[in-house]
Amino acid sequence: MTKFIAGEAVAIALFCIGLYGLLARRNIIKTVISIGIIESAVILYFLTIGFTEDAVPPIGANIIVKTVDPVPQALMITTIVIGVAVTAVALTMFLSLYHRYGTTNWKKVIKKRGEEE
Amino acid sequence: MPLFWFVLLPILIGVLTYLLGADKSKYLTLFFQAFFLAMAFINFSNIKLQGAVSENLGGFPQGIGITLYCDNIASVLMLLNIFLFTCMIVFNIHKNYMNKLFLFLFLILQGLLNGIFLSNDLFNLYVLIDLATIVVSILIMFKKDSRSIYDGMVYLLVNIVAMLFFLLGVGYVYKIFGVLDMGLIQEKMNLVTDTRVLILPYCFLMTAVGLKAAIMPLFSWLPRAHGTPSAPSIVSAILSGLYVKGGLYLFIRIQNIFEPTLKTQSLFLLLGFFTAIVGFIFALSQTDIKLILAYHTVSQIGLIIFGLSIGHIESYWGSIYHILNHAVFKSVLFLTAGIIIEVYQTRDIRLIQGVFKRMPFVSIITIIAILGITGAPLFNGSISKYFIQRGTTSLLEYGLIIINLGTVMSFVKYSSIFKGSIDAPVHKIPVNQKVVTSLLAGICFLGGIFGAKMIGYLFNVTVIVSFAGYVQKSVIYIISLIVGFLFYKYAYKRIPLFKKIRDIELSFPSLCLSIVVFFSGLLAYMMIITA
Repeated sequence: MTKFIAGEAVAIALFCIGLYGLLARRNIIKTVISIGIIESAVILYFLTIGFTEDAVPPIGANIIVKTVDPVPQALMITTIVIGVAVTAVALTMFLSLYHRYGTTNWKKVIKKRGEEE
Repeated sequence: MPLFWFVLLPILIGVLTYLLGADKSKYLTLFFQAFFLAMAFINFSNIKLQGAVSENLGGFPQGIGITLYCDNIASVLMLLNIFLFTCMIVFNIHKNYMNKLFLFLFLILQGLLNGIFLSNDLFNLYVLIDLATIVVSILIMFKKDSRSIYDGMVYLLVNIVAMLFFLLGVGYVYKIFGVLDMGLIQEKMNLVTDTRVLILPYCFLMTAVGLKAAIMPLFSWLPRAHGTPSAPSIVSAILSGLYVKGGLYLFIRIQNIFEPTLKTQSLFLLLGFFTAIVGFIFALSQTDIKLILAYHTVSQIGLIIFGLSIGHIESYWGSIYHILNHAVFKSVLFLTAGIIIEVYQTRDIRLIQGVFKRMPFVSIITIIAILGITGAPLFNGSISKYFIQRGTTSLLEYGLIIINLGTVMSFVKYSSIFKGSIDAPVHKIPVNQKVVTSLLAGICFLGGIFGAKMIGYLFNVTVIVSFAGYVQKSVIYIISLIVGFLFYKYAYKRIPLFKKIRDIELSFPSLCLSIVVFFSGLLAYMMIITA
């Protein structure tokens, strides 16, 4: 049982949960949250790639013991930063959308937008 | 000039523009663009002579640091990118909304596009594309109309979701190969013993690339973004002419890596064909002139993917040449559509009439572009379509004729704006707009007359246009023109299907559903063929 609760499996499960949120929820805020969940899933996935048991961080010179792969961790710092930026932009856009249409529902936004034309 | 300056310099100039203010720096930007164009040309001719170059950033060896890689196609696309951006800035130099923020974002987009063409590192590509997505979504809603805020937001979120698919795919690739460099991945490809492990990363990557390039079920975001009411016409022109080509270029690169092992050519041949068909059906059903052009981009992308997947060397180069041609004539069409919309204050094709009387110059330019895009003899579209046709055999050849017939039909509809008369004085357009549009229209014509030479010059491949085949194609063109005209005149209004299609609008969850459907369809297909 415990071998299924590895980082990779959890990451895939989280990815699917986020995807479900995107498909099944019409609330715009929940869409943004779902994107956040998918992003965490991807980050978790990347971090588990570089993981090996009893490895040490690759810091210092002349290391003889096994070290973890530092590349995925370096990449994920960038991803986290991008994620913050994207969430901020999406929420800012949502604010001005909400000011115009007064709803958080994708369907209602489309409807009101259709009436406008 | 080292390659990384092509990415960095536009961004630095953008920052400078922002600090100085647009009034002072407009002409500085132009001067810089001219310099940049010269540099890109030098880069292009160097690569033409010496072959592809790669450059490791930060002095790290390949495989550890980020590599920029510039081959022939990339250098040509970069040249095209810089040329079109220069044209767009000249075209719009007198507009009020060209403030410092607009120029800043616009120049950043130029740098990012260069980066997408140059980058050889999968993760770096993810970062560049994500940043470009944010910049584009802000540019789309630059005039702050409420409809375009919705369009911008849908564009942003859909593309971010697709890029997360891409990132997970990158994770799988890293897990299998241990590198992110595309060149190294290609080298290590033959070490993979069980090709089934490649399926999942390939599907993840291809879903994102398919969305970026707007392949069949994934194109519904494109017209929203490219044809949104209030986006400045130069932004529409850049998005439709160039930005989509970033997706296509990625498609070429990723197919290059995976195609020898996974054999997906026939699938994309089919998908490209259907994309082209669906694209023109949607284009025919629209009444908004910008949306007609935007859906038309979908159709042409289908044609390009179709040509790339035939697996014939001349079709391949024909498609690549069509990428360039499409960039030129689609920009002309969007620019002239922008002028027409400005004068008439409407985008409804049924209300725009008598353009030829009111704006003879604009009409002539538009007609040249239309002749180019429909593949009229002597214009650039005909050459690229001719070469795509060279690789086709019986059934595919008919498919190609149908695609072109659709293009002709939708442009017969588009040209209905020229007819009629109107009681208004002749509208004069500023000199800079005249220069830019006639330059681009001139390229449409020259690219047709010297088509084979152009391909030879740009890509170092020799292709020959056979006279008999070309004449045959011209005859087919004239027949399809007649059929298209008759269809529009007699049958078009009687088909209720078009009206129904016009009202389709996917909400955001359905757009995500189309992504998931594409992904699972691709996955199922791959599982079946490798089983």
